[in-house]
Amino acid sequence: MSNAPAAANLPALHPGIHRGLQRPLSPQELSDFGSEIEALRARTVADLGERDARYIRRIFAAVRWTEIIGRILLVVGFFLPSPWDWSVWLLGAFTLGLSKILDNMELGHNVIHGQFDWMGDPRFSGKTFEWDIVGTADNWRKTHNFKHHTYTNVHGMDDDIGYDVLRIFPEQKWHPAALFQPLYAVIFALLFQWGVAIQNLRVGRVFIGRITWRGLFKESAPTLRKWRRLLVKDYIVFPLLAGPAWASVFTGNLVANGLRNLWTYTVIFCGHFTSDVQTFPKSVLKNESRAQWYVRQILGSSNLSGSKALHVLTGNLSHQIEHHLFPDVPANRYAEMAPVVRDICRRYGIHYNTGSMVSQFGQVVWRILRHSFPSSPSTAMPDGVPAR
Amino acid sequence: MVDPATFDFWAQKLDATWSWTRTLARVIERRAEAQDAVTLVLQPNRHWAGFQPGQHLNVSAEVGGRRVTRSYSLTDIPRRDGRIAITVKRVDGGRLSTQLCEHTRVGDVLELGEAFGDMTLPAAPRQAEGRWLFLAAGSGITPLMALTRQLAAQGMPVDVSLVYWAKTRAEFCFADELRALARQHPRCQVHFVVTHEAAQGADEHEGFIDHALLTRLLGGDGGEVSASGPAAWADRQVLACGPGGFVDAARALTATTARSFLADGFTPTAPADLPQAGEATTVSVSLTRSGRTLRVSSGSSLLEALEAQGLNPPSGCRMGVCHTCVCQRHSGTTLDTLSGERSAEPDMAVRLCVSRACSDLSLDL
Repeated sequence: MSNAPAAANLPALHPGIHRGLQRPLSPQELSDFGSEIEALRARTVADLGERDARYIRRIFAAVRWTEIIGRILLVVGFFLPSPWDWSVWLLGAFTLGLSKILDNMELGHNVIHGQFDWMGDPRFSGKTFEWDIVGTADNWRKTHNFKHHTYTNVHGMDDDIGYDVLRIFPEQKWHPAALFQPLYAVIFALLFQWGVAIQNLRVGRVFIGRITWRGLFKESAPTLRKWRRLLVKDYIVFPLLAGPAWASVFTGNLVANGLRNLWTYTVIFCGHFTSDVQTFPKSVLKNESRAQWYVRQILGSSNLSGSKALHVLTGNLSHQIEHHLFPDVPANRYAEMAPVVRDICRRYGIHYNTGSMVSQFGQVVWRILRHSFPSSPSTAMPDGVPAR
Repeated sequence: MVDPATFDFWAQKLDATWSWTRTLARVIERRAEAQDAVTLVLQPNRHWAGFQPGQHLNVSAEVGGRRVTRSYSLTDIPRRDGRIAITVKRVDGGRLSTQLCEHTRVGDVLELGEAFGDMTLPAAPRQAEGRWLFLAAGSGITPLMALTRQLAAQGMPVDVSLVYWAKTRAEFCFADELRALARQHPRCQVHFVVTHEAAQGADEHEGFIDHALLTRLLGGDGGEVSASGPAAWADRQVLACGPGGFVDAARALTATTARSFLADGFTPTAPADLPQAGEATTVSVSLTRSGRTLRVSSGSSLLEALEAQGLNPPSGCRMGVCHTCVCQRHSGTTLDTLSGERSAEPDMAVRLCVSRACSDLSLDL
């Protein structure tokens, strides 16, 4: 397989990428590693069919059923005697929250990636799917599918590094305001979908003179229309339909949206902000080969170990590494791809970052606390010794 | 405020053909029409806008998780109850035809496109405008059957001769009905022609389409029979339908010698071969939204090729990851340069940045 002259022409890893590798990979090893990842993809894609189509339809049905059950329980609770009233109300809010989580994660996020484009079914077309969160799918396709997935964890390219709100890595510039970030990290979590939607509008452009307020307002029209539509739906139409139970529906919807915000925030932060994940300087992108891109995706992502229910509720972002290697492969396949990826990583000595949700989120919280104070890459993260 | 997918989900709990925007139809009746051919009678929902005899429609069904779309001719005439019929012949390796012929049952739901095609007859055909000659081969009978039924429903206002080729007798669809029409209407002549077995009976003949066969058949219908004079079909309006090769032969034989000629050829939906590596060719790409047609090289990605022509389709990662450049390929074959696979399935999403053209294409851009 390996022959020296050919290997000499193969690109080596960027010098900035060395943490997370047990040993330096030769150009030939790097190329073989890329081929193994691609072979896994090819095997999986060739096997897509009935089972995957049935899966995504079942998820769609689960979103619909949990939505209607949750909304009915919120109304029914109002008419029940105490203590049934608040317990049924709470169950309703959780069920509706579950519906919103499924719609957001396992259905919306995955369909918008184009994971089910191969079905040719317009209901599951990545290009046209729209979801029940205040950010538009169109903005999401740009900031998430393109920028975040192509330039994962590259400073200055991937806006998801702290979402311009939090300082999570020492490479980010410190500012005295960061001292308060433990507080506004909580607010950001509660309003996560709003944070992401507003971030997508890139309001900062107004302050540096790139765009006028009027221009921004015009450009944001589709987003504002969507905000209006969703606010009217959850906080006017459904409460009105509930008649005397309007307040119970109003607050139930608020709680359901809040639950979804907290959950998605937790899952997404666990994906890229744990202790061992790496971020990269822009220079890694220069002449980056596909194999190098795979290495960067693995080192920049972290998985969550857990039950099948956890995988479904996280939209299989618990398999963040597999998702970043194969963002357009149906997420229901990640669980069976994960052991193969893990074995490939083991053989090539590439760190495969996984852990329980409690442990991974604990690391995220530590990062938020630690980097609210000044830190620098050299002291906070000496080579090979992740900062804790 | 209504999300069509959500509406459809709940509405279809009551009736599987109800939909906010999509044209769905339930299979009402399924009958064997000939060897390897079935007729499906469908009841479309209210989105179905009707058709004219001679037209086709796209039919979609899910096969192995993938939506497959093919065109079929409507074989019945418009009915008061809104039901429509298609007659499907099973093609070896044909995914939808196999599904429809062997697995589709009464009660199943199919998705329909709009009726299209201009091989139709005038609303009131008149003898003065010339007699008609229908040339059908294999499943080419399907639109011509609808036109024959239309004329029969009008009481055969004009002379029509139908010549219908099949490999073997067992493959003739509508044989009894066609014979009955010929008996009932003196103006209607029907000739069955087999190519792979011996002819039997008075209305059955053998041989491929050629001048001698057609002259002999039409001579019996009261046409001029002369080797040197005008062709036996000189006063006829010819409609031909069948496989590409058959239609070419019919065109060569009658297009210039008949009063008029209109044809519909079937092109199988099989992926086209990419020219050998290194010898990129130029293909024609028609963009259905902007109405432009461009000549692009098959040697570079579609995204690069379109950009080289001054277009600026949405794009992102340029490595097949982000799906920003995805657009629908209405027709033609493309090569996925990451997987090395070719695809010719109509109306499928392709990633322009990692796809190359293998044939002329039509894209939703």
